[in-house]
Amino acid sequence: MKAQDILSYSFGAIRLRKLRAGLTTLGVVIGIAAIVALLSITQGLQATITRQLQTGFATDTLIVSTGGGLGAGFGTGGERATSSGFKLLINDTQIINNITNVETSMAIIQRAGWAGNGTTNLTTTIVGVNFTEYSSIYSSTFVAESGAIPLNPENETIVVGKRVSDPWKNETLFCNVNDNVEIIWTNATTLPPKNETYTGHVAAVLKEIGGFSAGGPSDSSVYIPISQAQSFFDTGECNSIIVKLKNDDKTTIDNVSNAIKDSFSGQVSVTSATAVLNILSSVFSIIQLFLAGIAAISLLVAGIGIMNIMIVSLMERTREIGILKALGMKNQTVLLIFLCESVIIGAIGAIIGIASGWVLANVVAIVFRGGGGAFTGNQAATTGGMTITPLLTPTVTILAVVFGVGVSAIFALYPAWRASKLKPVEALRYE
Amino acid sequence: MATIVEATNLKKTYMLGKIPVDALRGVNLKVESGDFLAILGPSGSGKSTLLNLIGALDKPSEGKMMIEGIDISTLDDGQLADLRRGIGFVFQFFNLIPRFTARENVELPMAIAGLSKADRRKRAEDLLETVGLKERMNHKPTELSGGEQQRVAIARALANNPKFLVMDEPTGNIDSKTANEIICLIKRLNEEKAVTIIMVTHDQHLAGQSKKIVQMFDGLITKEVVN
Repeated sequence: MKAQDILSYSFGAIRLRKLRAGLTTLGVVIGIAAIVALLSITQGLQATITRQLQTGFATDTLIVSTGGGLGAGFGTGGERATSSGFKLLINDTQIINNITNVETSMAIIQRAGWAGNGTTNLTTTIVGVNFTEYSSIYSSTFVAESGAIPLNPENETIVVGKRVSDPWKNETLFCNVNDNVEIIWTNATTLPPKNETYTGHVAAVLKEIGGFSAGGPSDSSVYIPISQAQSFFDTGECNSIIVKLKNDDKTTIDNVSNAIKDSFSGQVSVTSATAVLNILSSVFSIIQLFLAGIAAISLLVAGIGIMNIMIVSLMERTREIGILKALGMKNQTVLLIFLCESVIIGAIGAIIGIASGWVLANVVAIVFRGGGGAFTGNQAATTGGMTITPLLTPTVTILAVVFGVGVSAIFALYPAWRASKLKPVEALRYE
Repeated sequence: MATIVEATNLKKTYMLGKIPVDALRGVNLKVESGDFLAILGPSGSGKSTLLNLIGALDKPSEGKMMIEGIDISTLDDGQLADLRRGIGFVFQFFNLIPRFTARENVELPMAIAGLSKADRRKRAEDLLETVGLKERMNHKPTELSGGEQQRVAIARALANNPKFLVMDEPTGNIDSKTANEIICLIKRLNEEKAVTIIMVTHDQHLAGQSKKIVQMFDGLITKEVVN
């Protein structure tokens, strides 16, 4: 029997039971749509985060830390800073500055704390930095929207992120340039722990950076001068040291990273933007695999649905199979007819599934952006400054089709095989 | 005349649940080209079992069933299917594919044999003309009377130029007036087109039209009469 005749025979059999075939197809549609929607949202999210990281985290900088904070999660070296009591000090920058290819380095002290405007206390991160160096390293993100970042700040001078100035994203500002803000942190080194506080003066509000920032400036932090942080937090230690390199060659990054680790006898972690991006992409791969796995369960259910329907179909058509065999049809042709029916259902399901998955992903993106409200027609979604643009790659598209068709074929294999093995005499006698 | 079918000491035992049933207990039969053979017998006499073996739908338990000189016991499923393409089947309940039109039903064996669409369409129309149904060829089986359906089935049986036709009570499910038309058609095929016919029937009138009657009882051939 010719291939086109097998195909048209199968197609005719499907058309005869439209509702049943439709419902079976729906199962595949849901499975494929779930996979496509989840993957395109995740991939869109990954693209967004990567882009934000690249702007917020200069590729020619390294972050040195004692294994706490960023370094612990994103350590590049095999060894992590030990808990042997090693502390990174503010003036360790002098050691780092002597390393070849290091342009400059600066220490960062940060503590969780609050900012108060007299009526409200806002949870924030208090970050002690050298304003001049910080703005030169993060020249694209540590930028004032209003006011100006002071180069020779007073002790009380502070710079606040956009979400500290405007935490509720409406006209009600928490603070603005020239306002006074209470800076509060809980000193737990004394007993009993005690709240330390001083009044800061807002010199600048940063322009919005976006929801995610590794190592660099963030929207929800309060920046105070490093000298003030030193005395306010009563410490000579720092959380991390940011190192600006002369260039962002891979060899420079590796050499300087190793030199820094050697200088501190391997007790620090050195993180580079490239390393963070690599780790991020592997984290996203795991997330994608996980989500695709969940979605694949629905495809599995669809597969079982196909098998069920094919077995019912096999029973209904036992006599027909007997006739076909009496007319000289071979076993493998019967097998192909049944497989073909299922593959047609799978292929149609996959195509509709990809389309509906893509629509679903965009709907989710729009709902995210509007917080369930404002639809602007733009496909980008914003959550806390984060925009998601769903991304449908050719790989995902092809995989979706392959999975849809593959699952259909695999689950139809058993019914098709049974159909092909029916004995003509018994099949013809079947009522 | 060439021998088309030759059964030697043919035995067939099948299981009815757990009880073995000896449907054929040593049948010897020879069918020559151009024959018109009627197999008569009460139900349970083994005539349908014999017909299934003649049609290569089943294999014997013992003995030899030669079709065109080939022992069907030696064939695998695929070879049996190939062999069946050279045999035309007509069933009591027509066994047409309900979703196909008359013409498509006649085309089906040719499609299975791999004929091109144009060739099989042409031949299907010719065959339907032979059985007098050219005007009704685009009707589905449900839109045809029993006699018409059986004529479509006969046209389908003739599609691949079979060596012989195997008919299982071809008039068993149609009224006597229509049955007469079918009998005439079968007789005409045998006489004018020299089609070899082997059929099982209860119909004494139909059996009377055949060239040879084989009487079966309890799994054995008890009598052979040449008309």
